Amino acid sequence: MLSLTTGLAPLVLAGLLGWTGAVKLFSRGTVLGAPKTALARMLSSSERAALVLRGVGAGELLIAAGLLAVPANPLPGAAAALLGAGFLGYLGYGRALAPESSCGCSANEDTPITWRAFARAAVVLVSGVAAAVAHGSWWSTVSGRPAGSLGFLAAAAVVLIALSADLDRWWLLPLRRARLRVFGHPLFGTGAGDRVPVAASVELLENSLAWQAASPVVRSALLDHWEEDGWRILLFSGVYETAEGAWPVSVVFALDATSSRDTPGDPVVRVSFLDADSGEPVGAELLSTVPSRKALPLAS
Amino acid sequence: MTSRQEDRRGLGRRRFLTTAALSGATIIGATALGGIDADAAFAAEPSLDPAIAKSSFVEGRITGITGSILEVAGSYGDHARVQMTNATSVWKVRATSAAAIEIGDGLYARGVPMPDGTIAADAVWVNIVNLDTQIRGIAKNRLHLAHGQHEVVGNVLPATTNASYAGRALTSDLSQLRIGQSAQVLGAWRPSDNSVDVVRISVGH
Repeated sequence: MLSLTTGLAPLVLAGLLGWTGAVKLFSRGTVLGAPKTALARMLSSSERAALVLRGVGAGELLIAAGLLAVPANPLPGAAAALLGAGFLGYLGYGRALAPESSCGCSANEDTPITWRAFARAAVVLVSGVAAAVAHGSWWSTVSGRPAGSLGFLAAAAVVLIALSADLDRWWLLPLRRARLRVFGHPLFGTGAGDRVPVAASVELLENSLAWQAASPVVRSALLDHWEEDGWRILLFSGVYETAEGAWPVSVVFALDATSSRDTPGDPVVRVSFLDADSGEPVGAELLSTVPSRKALPLAS
Repeated sequence: MTSRQEDRRGLGRRRFLTTAALSGATIIGATALGGIDADAAFAAEPSLDPAIAKSSFVEGRITGITGSILEVAGSYGDHARVQMTNATSVWKVRATSAAAIEIGDGLYARGVPMPDGTIAADAVWVNIVNLDTQIRGIAKNRLHLAHGQHEVVGNVLPATTNASYAGRALTSDLSQLRIGQSAQVLGAWRPSDNSVDVVRISVGH
Protein backbone atom coordinates (compact mmCIF):
# COMPACT_ATOMS: atom_id res chain seq x y z
CA MET A 1 0.00 0.00 0.00
CA LEU A 2 2.84 2.36 0.92
CA SER A 3 4.63 1.71 -2.34
CA LEU A 4 1.33 2.28 -4.14
CA THR A 5 0.88 5.60 -2.34
CA THR A 6 4.39 6.88 -3.00
CA GLY A 7 4.31 5.52 -6.55
CA LEU A 8 1.03 7.19 -7.47
CA ALA A 9 1.39 10.34 -5.38
CA PRO A 10 3.03 12.22 -8.29
CA LEU A 11 0.10 11.35 -10.56
CA VAL A 12 -2.56 12.44 -8.04
CA LEU A 13 -0.63 15.59 -7.21
CA ALA A 14 -0.11 16.39 -10.88
CA GLY A 15 -3.85 16.02 -11.46
CA LEU A 16 -4.72 18.37 -8.59
CA LEU A 17 -2.06 20.97 -9.37
CA GLY A 18 -2.75 20.76 -13.11
CA TRP A 19 -6.43 21.51 -12.50
CA THR A 20 -6.00 24.33 -9.93
CA GLY A 21 -3.04 25.76 -11.87
CA ALA A 22 -4.93 25.80 -15.17
CA VAL A 23 -7.95 27.44 -13.54
CA LYS A 24 -5.79 30.11 -11.88
CA LEU A 25 -3.75 30.79 -15.01
CA PHE A 26 -6.40 30.73 -17.72
CA SER A 27 -9.76 31.46 -16.06
CA ARG A 28 -11.19 34.95 -16.36
CA GLY A 29 -12.52 34.39 -12.86
CA THR A 30 -9.03 34.95 -11.50
CA VAL A 31 -9.20 38.66 -12.20
CA LEU A 32 -12.84 38.91 -11.11
CA GLY A 33 -12.28 36.96 -7.91
CA ALA A 34 -8.92 38.45 -6.99
CA PRO A 35 -10.28 41.46 -5.05
CA LYS A 36 -12.12 39.09 -2.70
CA THR A 37 -9.10 36.95 -1.83
CA ALA A 38 -7.08 37.28 1.34
CA LEU A 39 -4.11 37.82 -0.97
CA ALA A 40 -5.56 41.13 -2.17
CA ARG A 41 -5.77 42.25 1.45
CA MET A 42 -2.19 41.20 2.05
CA LEU A 43 -0.82 42.97 -1.03
CA SER A 44 -3.39 45.79 -0.77
CA SER A 45 -3.94 45.62 -4.52
CA SER A 46 -6.30 43.50 -6.60
CA GLU A 47 -4.11 43.77 -9.71
CA ARG A 48 -1.05 42.50 -7.87
CA ALA A 49 -3.13 39.72 -6.28
CA ALA A 50 -4.37 38.65 -9.74
CA LEU A 51 -0.80 38.73 -11.05
CA VAL A 52 0.46 36.63 -8.13
CA LEU A 53 -2.44 34.17 -8.56
CA ARG A 54 -1.61 33.78 -12.25
CA GLY A 55 2.07 33.31 -11.39
CA VAL A 56 1.23 30.64 -8.80
CA GLY A 57 -1.03 28.98 -11.39
CA ALA A 58 1.85 28.87 -13.89
CA GLY A 59 4.12 27.44 -11.18
CA GLU A 60 1.55 24.77 -10.34
CA LEU A 61 1.29 23.78 -14.01
CA LEU A 62 5.07 23.59 -14.25
CA ILE A 63 5.27 21.38 -11.15
CA ALA A 64 2.43 19.20 -12.48
CA ALA A 65 4.30 18.74 -15.77
CA GLY A 66 7.50 17.91 -13.87
CA LEU A 67 5.70 15.36 -11.69
CA LEU A 68 4.24 13.67 -14.74
CA ALA A 69 7.42 13.70 -16.86
CA VAL A 70 10.20 13.05 -14.35
CA PRO A 71 8.60 11.33 -11.34
CA ALA A 72 11.91 9.85 -10.20
CA ASN A 73 13.47 13.27 -9.86
CA PRO A 74 12.86 14.61 -6.30
CA LEU A 75 12.81 18.24 -7.46
CA PRO A 76 9.13 18.56 -8.57
CA GLY A 77 8.01 16.69 -5.46
CA ALA A 78 10.04 18.96 -3.21
CA ALA A 79 8.66 22.01 -5.03
CA ALA A 80 5.09 20.72 -4.53
CA ALA A 81 5.76 20.14 -0.82
CA LEU A 82 7.11 23.67 -0.58
CA LEU A 83 4.01 24.96 -2.38
CA GLY A 84 1.78 23.01 0.05
CA ALA A 85 3.63 24.49 3.02
CA GLY A 86 3.28 27.93 1.43
CA PHE A 87 -0.48 27.40 0.96
CA LEU A 88 -0.83 26.36 4.61
CA GLY A 89 1.03 29.45 5.74
CA TYR A 90 -1.03 31.68 3.45
CA LEU A 91 -4.32 30.12 4.61
CA GLY A 92 -3.34 30.51 8.26
CA TYR A 93 -2.36 34.13 7.66
CA GLY A 94 -5.47 34.79 5.57
CA ARG A 95 -7.71 33.23 8.19
CA ALA A 96 -6.21 35.42 10.89
CA LEU A 97 -6.10 38.55 8.73
CA ALA A 98 -9.38 38.35 6.85
CA PRO A 99 -11.53 35.37 7.85
CA GLU A 100 -14.31 36.51 5.52
CA SER A 101 -12.21 36.57 2.38
CA SER A 102 -12.04 33.80 -0.18
CA CYS A 103 -8.96 31.58 -0.31
CA GLY A 104 -8.45 31.86 -4.06
CA CYS A 105 -7.40 28.22 -3.93
CA SER A 106 -8.80 27.48 -7.36
CA ALA A 107 -9.57 31.12 -8.06
CA ASN A 108 -12.93 30.64 -9.75
CA GLU A 109 -15.24 30.38 -6.78
CA ASP A 110 -16.12 32.33 -3.69
CA THR A 111 -14.92 29.65 -1.36
CA PRO A 112 -14.24 30.89 2.13
CA ILE A 113 -11.21 29.65 4.04
CA THR A 114 -12.47 26.59 5.90
CA TRP A 115 -10.89 23.44 7.29
CA ARG A 116 -11.31 21.87 3.86
CA ALA A 117 -8.93 24.40 2.30
CA PHE A 118 -6.39 23.60 5.02
CA ALA A 119 -6.85 19.85 4.50
CA ARG A 120 -6.33 20.20 0.75
CA ALA A 121 -3.13 22.22 1.26
CA ALA A 122 -1.96 19.56 3.73
CA VAL A 123 -2.62 16.89 1.07
CA VAL A 124 -0.42 18.85 -1.35
CA LEU A 125 2.35 19.05 1.27
CA VAL A 126 2.21 15.35 2.22
CA SER A 127 1.94 14.02 -1.31
CA GLY A 128 4.72 16.40 -2.36
CA VAL A 129 6.96 14.79 0.26
CA ALA A 130 5.80 11.33 -0.90
CA ALA A 131 6.56 12.23 -4.51
CA ALA A 132 9.98 13.54 -3.55
CA VAL A 133 10.98 10.29 -1.84
CA ALA A 134 9.40 8.04 -4.51
CA HIS A 135 11.92 5.94 -6.43
CA GLY A 136 10.01 4.37 -9.31
CA SER A 137 7.89 6.05 -11.92
CA TRP A 138 4.11 6.18 -11.69
CA TRP A 139 3.64 4.37 -15.00
CA SER A 140 5.58 1.36 -13.74
CA THR A 141 3.33 1.28 -10.64
CA VAL A 142 0.20 1.50 -12.79
CA SER A 143 1.34 -1.22 -15.19
CA GLY A 144 2.53 -3.39 -12.28
CA ARG A 145 -0.67 -3.23 -10.23
CA PRO A 146 -3.44 -1.89 -12.50
CA ALA A 147 -6.44 -2.83 -10.30
CA GLY A 148 -4.91 -1.49 -7.09
CA SER A 149 -3.77 1.67 -8.88
CA LEU A 150 -7.22 2.30 -10.30
CA GLY A 151 -8.80 1.86 -6.87
CA PHE A 152 -6.24 4.17 -5.27
CA LEU A 153 -6.70 6.86 -7.92
CA ALA A 154 -10.47 6.69 -7.60
CA ALA A 155 -10.25 7.01 -3.80
CA ALA A 156 -7.80 9.90 -4.12
CA ALA A 157 -10.12 11.66 -6.58
CA VAL A 158 -13.08 11.25 -4.20
CA VAL A 159 -11.06 12.67 -1.30
CA LEU A 160 -9.86 15.65 -3.33
CA ILE A 161 -13.35 16.39 -4.66
CA ALA A 162 -14.75 16.21 -1.13
CA LEU A 163 -12.07 18.64 0.02
CA SER A 164 -12.81 21.14 -2.76
CA ALA A 165 -15.55 23.48 -1.57
CA ASP A 166 -15.89 24.97 -5.06
CA LEU A 167 -17.05 21.63 -6.44
CA ASP A 168 -19.92 21.31 -3.90
CA ARG A 169 -22.57 22.46 -6.30
CA TRP A 170 -21.65 19.66 -8.70
CA TRP A 171 -22.05 16.83 -6.20
CA LEU A 172 -23.12 17.90 -2.69
CA LEU A 173 -26.27 19.81 -3.63
CA PRO A 174 -27.47 17.18 -6.16
CA LEU A 175 -26.81 14.52 -3.51
CA ARG A 176 -28.89 16.43 -0.96
CA ARG A 177 -31.64 16.98 -3.54
CA ALA A 178 -31.68 13.27 -4.31
CA ARG A 179 -31.94 12.51 -0.59
CA LEU A 180 -35.00 14.77 -0.32
CA ARG A 181 -36.55 13.02 -3.32
CA VAL A 182 -35.95 9.57 -1.87
CA PHE A 183 -36.79 10.21 1.78
CA GLY A 184 -39.36 12.97 1.29
CA HIS A 185 -39.21 16.62 2.27
CA PRO A 186 -38.25 16.82 5.97
CA LEU A 187 -40.47 19.86 6.48
CA PHE A 188 -43.54 18.31 4.90
CA GLY A 189 -46.54 18.41 7.21
CA THR A 190 -44.76 20.32 9.96
CA GLY A 191 -46.81 23.47 9.40
CA ALA A 192 -49.98 24.27 11.30
CA GLY A 193 -52.23 23.19 8.44
CA ASP A 194 -54.55 25.86 7.11
CA ARG A 195 -54.12 28.16 10.08
CA VAL A 196 -53.11 31.65 9.04
CA PRO A 197 -49.94 32.67 10.91
CA VAL A 198 -50.03 35.90 12.92
CA ALA A 199 -47.33 37.31 10.64
CA ALA A 200 -49.71 36.85 7.70
CA SER A 201 -52.43 38.77 9.56
CA VAL A 202 -49.96 41.58 10.26
CA GLU A 203 -49.00 41.56 6.60
CA LEU A 204 -52.65 41.76 5.58
CA LEU A 205 -53.19 44.60 8.06
CA GLU A 206 -50.24 46.55 6.70
CA ASN A 207 -51.69 46.28 3.22
CA SER A 208 -55.10 47.52 4.30
CA LEU A 209 -56.78 50.88 4.09
CA ALA A 210 -57.33 50.70 7.86
CA TRP A 211 -53.58 50.68 8.42
CA GLN A 212 -53.18 53.63 6.13
CA ALA A 213 -55.84 55.51 8.08
CA ALA A 214 -54.31 54.64 11.46
CA SER A 215 -50.66 55.05 10.52
CA PRO A 216 -50.40 58.73 11.59
CA VAL A 217 -51.19 57.51 15.11
CA VAL A 218 -49.40 54.15 15.29
CA ARG A 219 -45.86 54.40 16.65
CA SER A 220 -44.86 50.92 17.81
CA ALA A 221 -44.57 47.61 16.03
CA LEU A 222 -46.83 44.74 17.09
CA LEU A 223 -47.15 44.75 20.88
CA ASP A 224 -49.44 41.80 21.47
CA HIS A 225 -51.90 39.59 19.65
CA TRP A 226 -54.61 37.10 20.56
CA GLU A 227 -57.69 35.48 19.14
CA GLU A 228 -61.27 35.71 20.27
CA ASP A 229 -64.45 34.48 18.55
CA GLY A 230 -62.72 34.04 15.21
CA TRP A 231 -61.21 37.52 15.35
CA ARG A 232 -57.51 38.09 15.51
CA ILE A 233 -56.76 41.11 17.64
CA LEU A 234 -53.53 43.00 16.99
CA LEU A 235 -52.41 45.58 19.54
CA PHE A 236 -50.12 48.52 18.81
CA SER A 237 -49.32 51.66 20.74
CA GLY A 238 -49.32 55.16 19.38
CA VAL A 239 -49.70 58.85 19.97
CA TYR A 240 -52.87 60.73 19.10
CA GLU A 241 -52.06 64.35 18.36
CA THR A 242 -54.47 67.25 18.09
CA ALA A 243 -54.03 71.01 18.23
CA GLU A 244 -54.52 70.84 22.02
CA GLY A 245 -51.90 68.22 22.73
CA ALA A 246 -50.79 64.64 22.35
CA TRP A 247 -52.14 61.57 24.13
CA PRO A 248 -50.64 58.10 24.31
CA VAL A 249 -53.13 55.63 22.90
CA SER A 250 -53.55 51.92 22.35
CA VAL A 251 -54.42 51.06 18.77
CA VAL A 252 -56.42 47.84 18.43
CA PHE A 253 -57.19 46.16 15.15
CA ALA A 254 -59.52 43.21 14.69
CA LEU A 255 -59.26 41.03 11.59
CA ASP A 256 -60.78 37.78 10.46
CA ALA A 257 -58.35 35.20 11.84
CA THR A 258 -58.66 33.08 8.71
CA SER A 259 -57.90 35.68 6.06
CA SER A 260 -54.53 36.58 4.63
CA ARG A 261 -53.24 38.55 1.66
CA ASP A 262 -54.18 35.61 -0.58
CA THR A 263 -57.83 35.68 0.51
CA PRO A 264 -59.96 37.10 -2.31
CA GLY A 265 -61.81 40.34 -1.68
CA ASP A 266 -60.88 43.41 0.27
CA PRO A 267 -59.68 42.98 3.84
CA VAL A 268 -62.18 43.98 6.51
CA VAL A 269 -60.50 45.55 9.50
CA ARG A 270 -62.03 47.03 12.62
CA VAL A 271 -59.93 49.62 14.37
CA SER A 272 -60.14 51.65 17.55
CA PHE A 273 -57.94 54.21 19.31
CA LEU A 274 -58.16 54.02 23.10
CA ASP A 275 -56.67 56.48 25.55
CA ALA A 276 -53.81 54.59 27.22
CA ASP A 277 -54.80 55.73 30.72
CA SER A 278 -58.57 55.95 30.75
CA GLY A 279 -59.39 53.40 28.04
CA GLU A 280 -61.82 55.86 26.48
CA PRO A 281 -62.12 55.75 22.69
CA VAL A 282 -60.51 58.77 21.05
CA GLY A 283 -59.85 60.05 17.57
CA ALA A 284 -62.84 58.42 15.93
CA GLU A 285 -62.93 61.31 13.44
CA LEU A 286 -59.54 60.20 12.04
CA LEU A 287 -61.02 56.87 11.13
CA SER A 288 -64.36 58.08 9.85
CA THR A 289 -62.74 60.29 7.21
CA VAL A 290 -61.43 57.28 5.30
CA PRO A 291 -63.16 57.23 1.92
CA SER A 292 -65.06 54.01 1.46
CA ARG A 293 -63.72 53.56 -2.03
CA LYS A 294 -62.75 50.36 -3.69
CA ALA A 295 -59.04 49.85 -4.16
CA LEU A 296 -58.02 49.73 -7.79
CA PRO A 297 -56.70 46.33 -8.79
CA LEU A 298 -52.91 46.36 -8.90
CA ALA A 299 -50.95 44.58 -11.58
CA SER A 300 -48.47 42.37 -9.81
CA MET B 1 -49.46 40.88 42.72
CA THR B 2 -49.34 37.13 42.05
CA SER B 3 -48.91 35.83 38.54
CA ARG B 4 -52.43 34.44 38.68
CA GLN B 5 -53.81 37.85 39.47
CA GLU B 6 -51.67 39.27 36.68
CA ASP B 7 -53.03 36.66 34.30
CA ARG B 8 -56.57 37.53 35.26
CA ARG B 9 -55.84 41.22 34.85
CA GLY B 10 -54.23 40.51 31.47
CA LEU B 11 -57.24 38.49 30.38
CA GLY B 12 -59.59 41.22 31.54
CA ARG B 13 -57.56 43.79 29.66
CA ARG B 14 -57.56 41.66 26.52
CA ARG B 15 -61.32 41.21 26.72
CA PHE B 16 -61.76 44.93 27.18
CA LEU B 17 -59.49 45.66 24.19
CA THR B 18 -61.28 43.05 22.06
CA THR B 19 -64.63 44.67 22.79
CA ALA B 20 -63.19 48.08 22.01
CA ALA B 21 -61.69 46.87 18.74
CA LEU B 22 -64.89 45.20 17.59
CA SER B 23 -66.95 48.30 18.37
CA GLY B 24 -64.51 50.50 16.49
CA ALA B 25 -64.67 51.79 12.94
CA THR B 26 -64.83 49.20 10.20
CA ILE B 27 -62.56 49.98 7.28
CA ILE B 28 -62.66 47.88 4.15
CA GLY B 29 -60.02 48.00 1.47
CA ALA B 30 -56.49 47.21 0.53
CA THR B 31 -53.59 49.52 -0.19
CA ALA B 32 -50.04 48.88 -1.27
CA LEU B 33 -48.48 51.44 1.07
CA GLY B 34 -47.25 48.98 3.69
CA GLY B 35 -46.10 50.06 7.08
CA ILE B 36 -43.70 50.06 9.96
CA ASP B 37 -42.88 46.49 10.76
CA ALA B 38 -39.70 44.52 11.10
CA ASP B 39 -38.76 45.30 7.50
CA ALA B 40 -38.66 48.99 8.37
CA ALA B 41 -35.48 48.28 10.32
CA PHE B 42 -33.78 47.72 6.96
CA ALA B 43 -35.49 50.36 4.87
CA ALA B 44 -32.82 51.97 2.74
CA GLU B 45 -34.78 55.16 2.22
CA PRO B 46 -36.62 57.17 4.82
CA SER B 47 -40.21 56.09 5.04
CA LEU B 48 -43.03 58.36 4.01
CA ASP B 49 -44.83 57.24 7.12
CA PRO B 50 -45.41 60.32 9.30
CA ALA B 51 -44.59 58.33 12.45
CA ILE B 52 -41.12 57.60 11.15
CA ALA B 53 -40.32 61.09 9.93
CA LYS B 54 -40.23 62.36 13.52
CA SER B 55 -38.24 59.43 14.79
CA SER B 56 -34.62 58.71 15.18
CA PHE B 57 -32.96 55.40 14.78
CA VAL B 58 -30.45 53.53 16.93
CA GLU B 59 -28.44 50.47 16.01
CA GLY B 60 -25.75 48.53 17.86
CA ARG B 61 -24.97 46.03 20.61
CA ILE B 62 -26.45 46.27 24.08
CA THR B 63 -23.62 46.76 26.56
CA GLY B 64 -25.68 47.31 29.68
CA ILE B 65 -29.20 47.43 31.06
CA THR B 66 -29.95 49.89 33.86
CA GLY B 67 -33.54 49.68 34.95
CA SER B 68 -35.52 50.49 31.82
CA ILE B 69 -32.58 52.05 29.97
CA LEU B 70 -30.53 50.09 27.45
CA GLU B 71 -26.95 51.20 26.87
CA VAL B 72 -26.19 50.69 23.18
CA ALA B 73 -22.75 50.76 21.55
CA GLY B 74 -23.27 51.61 17.88
CA SER B 75 -21.39 49.92 15.07
CA TYR B 76 -19.61 53.17 14.21
CA GLY B 77 -18.26 53.93 17.66
CA ASP B 78 -21.28 55.98 18.70
CA HIS B 79 -23.19 55.44 21.91
CA ALA B 80 -26.88 55.75 22.71
CA ARG B 81 -29.19 55.29 25.68
CA VAL B 82 -32.53 53.78 24.81
CA GLN B 83 -35.40 54.31 27.23
CA MET B 84 -37.96 51.50 27.22
CA THR B 85 -41.53 52.46 28.07
CA ASN B 86 -44.61 50.34 28.57
CA ALA B 87 -45.72 51.40 25.09
CA THR B 88 -42.51 50.12 23.47
CA SER B 89 -42.93 47.09 21.28
CA VAL B 90 -40.18 44.48 21.56
CA TRP B 91 -39.43 41.98 18.81
CA LYS B 92 -37.13 39.09 19.52
CA VAL B 93 -38.09 36.28 17.16
CA ARG B 94 -41.68 37.24 18.00
CA ALA B 95 -43.52 40.06 19.76
CA THR B 96 -42.34 39.79 23.35
CA SER B 97 -41.58 41.93 26.40
CA ALA B 98 -38.52 43.90 27.49
CA ALA B 99 -37.62 41.07 29.90
CA ALA B 100 -36.40 39.03 26.91
CA ILE B 101 -33.63 41.53 26.10
CA GLU B 102 -30.15 40.47 27.21
CA ILE B 103 -26.77 42.14 27.40
CA GLY B 104 -24.80 41.31 24.24
CA ASP B 105 -27.86 41.30 22.01
CA GLY B 106 -27.87 43.33 18.82
CA LEU B 107 -30.53 46.00 18.59
CA TYR B 108 -32.38 48.22 16.18
CA ALA B 109 -34.63 50.78 17.81
CA ARG B 110 -36.87 53.54 16.55
CA GLY B 111 -37.90 56.26 18.92
CA VAL B 112 -38.14 59.90 19.81
CA PRO B 113 -35.15 61.88 21.15
CA MET B 114 -35.77 63.17 24.67
CA PRO B 115 -34.34 66.36 26.21
CA ASP B 116 -32.12 64.31 28.55
CA GLY B 117 -30.33 62.71 25.59
CA THR B 118 -32.04 59.34 25.79
CA ILE B 119 -34.22 57.97 23.04
CA ALA B 120 -37.71 56.95 24.12
CA ALA B 121 -38.19 53.82 22.06
CA ASP B 122 -41.39 53.23 20.11
CA ALA B 123 -40.21 49.92 18.74
CA VAL B 124 -37.21 47.73 19.39
CA TRP B 125 -36.04 44.82 17.24
CA VAL B 126 -33.54 42.57 18.98
CA ASN B 127 -30.96 40.56 17.01
CA ILE B 128 -32.92 41.05 13.80
CA VAL B 129 -31.13 40.09 10.60
CA ASN B 130 -32.17 40.24 6.98
CA LEU B 131 -30.04 37.98 4.82
CA ASP B 132 -29.85 37.30 1.11
CA THR B 133 -29.09 33.59 1.07
CA GLN B 134 -29.11 30.44 -0.96
CA ILE B 135 -30.64 27.26 0.47
CA ARG B 136 -27.92 24.60 0.57
CA GLY B 137 -29.54 21.98 2.74
CA ILE B 138 -32.85 21.19 4.40
CA ALA B 139 -33.26 19.18 7.58
CA LYS B 140 -36.10 18.58 10.04
CA ASN B 141 -35.26 21.47 12.34
CA ARG B 142 -32.78 23.56 10.43
CA LEU B 143 -31.85 24.97 7.06
CA HIS B 144 -28.32 25.24 5.77
CA LEU B 145 -27.92 28.60 4.12
CA ALA B 146 -25.10 30.24 2.22
CA HIS B 147 -24.86 34.00 2.71
CA GLY B 148 -22.06 35.28 0.48
CA GLN B 149 -18.90 33.82 1.96
CA HIS B 150 -20.65 32.57 5.08
CA GLU B 151 -22.37 29.33 5.84
CA VAL B 152 -25.32 30.04 8.12
CA VAL B 153 -27.44 27.57 10.04
CA GLY B 154 -31.08 28.65 10.06
CA ASN B 155 -33.13 27.15 12.90
CA VAL B 156 -36.67 26.20 11.93
CA LEU B 157 -39.02 27.00 14.80
CA PRO B 158 -42.41 25.31 14.89
CA ALA B 159 -45.30 27.81 14.82
CA THR B 160 -42.87 30.69 14.21
CA THR B 161 -41.06 30.05 10.95
CA ASN B 162 -43.15 31.15 7.99
CA ALA B 163 -42.51 31.08 4.29
CA SER B 164 -43.65 33.18 1.38
CA TYR B 165 -43.59 31.66 -2.08
CA ALA B 166 -43.42 33.91 -5.13
CA GLY B 167 -44.82 36.92 -3.31
CA ARG B 168 -47.83 35.13 -1.89
CA ALA B 169 -49.04 35.50 1.69
CA LEU B 170 -47.03 34.02 4.55
CA THR B 171 -47.75 30.41 5.38
CA SER B 172 -46.44 27.94 7.93
CA ASP B 173 -46.06 25.34 5.18
CA LEU B 174 -42.30 25.02 4.57
CA SER B 175 -42.46 21.94 2.36
CA GLN B 176 -42.06 23.90 -0.87
CA LEU B 177 -38.55 25.07 -0.04
CA ARG B 178 -36.00 23.60 -2.44
CA ILE B 179 -32.25 23.19 -2.29
CA GLY B 180 -30.49 25.71 -4.51
CA GLN B 181 -33.22 28.38 -4.25
CA SER B 182 -32.33 31.98 -3.51
CA ALA B 183 -34.04 32.95 -0.29
CA GLN B 184 -34.45 36.19 1.61
CA VAL B 185 -34.35 35.35 5.31
CA LEU B 186 -35.68 37.59 8.03
CA GLY B 187 -34.73 36.20 11.38
CA ALA B 188 -33.11 36.59 14.74
CA TRP B 189 -29.42 36.04 15.22
CA ARG B 190 -28.45 33.85 18.18
CA PRO B 191 -25.30 35.35 19.70
CA SER B 192 -24.47 32.10 21.54
CA ASP B 193 -23.86 29.92 18.46
CA ASN B 194 -24.06 32.42 15.59
CA SER B 195 -27.02 30.64 14.05
CA VAL B 196 -30.19 32.38 12.91
CA ASP B 197 -33.74 31.64 14.00
CA VAL B 198 -35.66 31.85 10.75
CA VAL B 199 -38.84 33.88 11.13
CA ARG B 200 -39.68 34.50 7.50
CA ILE B 201 -38.15 32.98 4.43
CA SER B 202 -39.15 34.34 1.03
CA VAL B 203 -38.35 32.42 -2.12
CA GLY B 204 -39.21 33.12 -5.72
CA HIS B 205 -39.59 36.80 -4.87
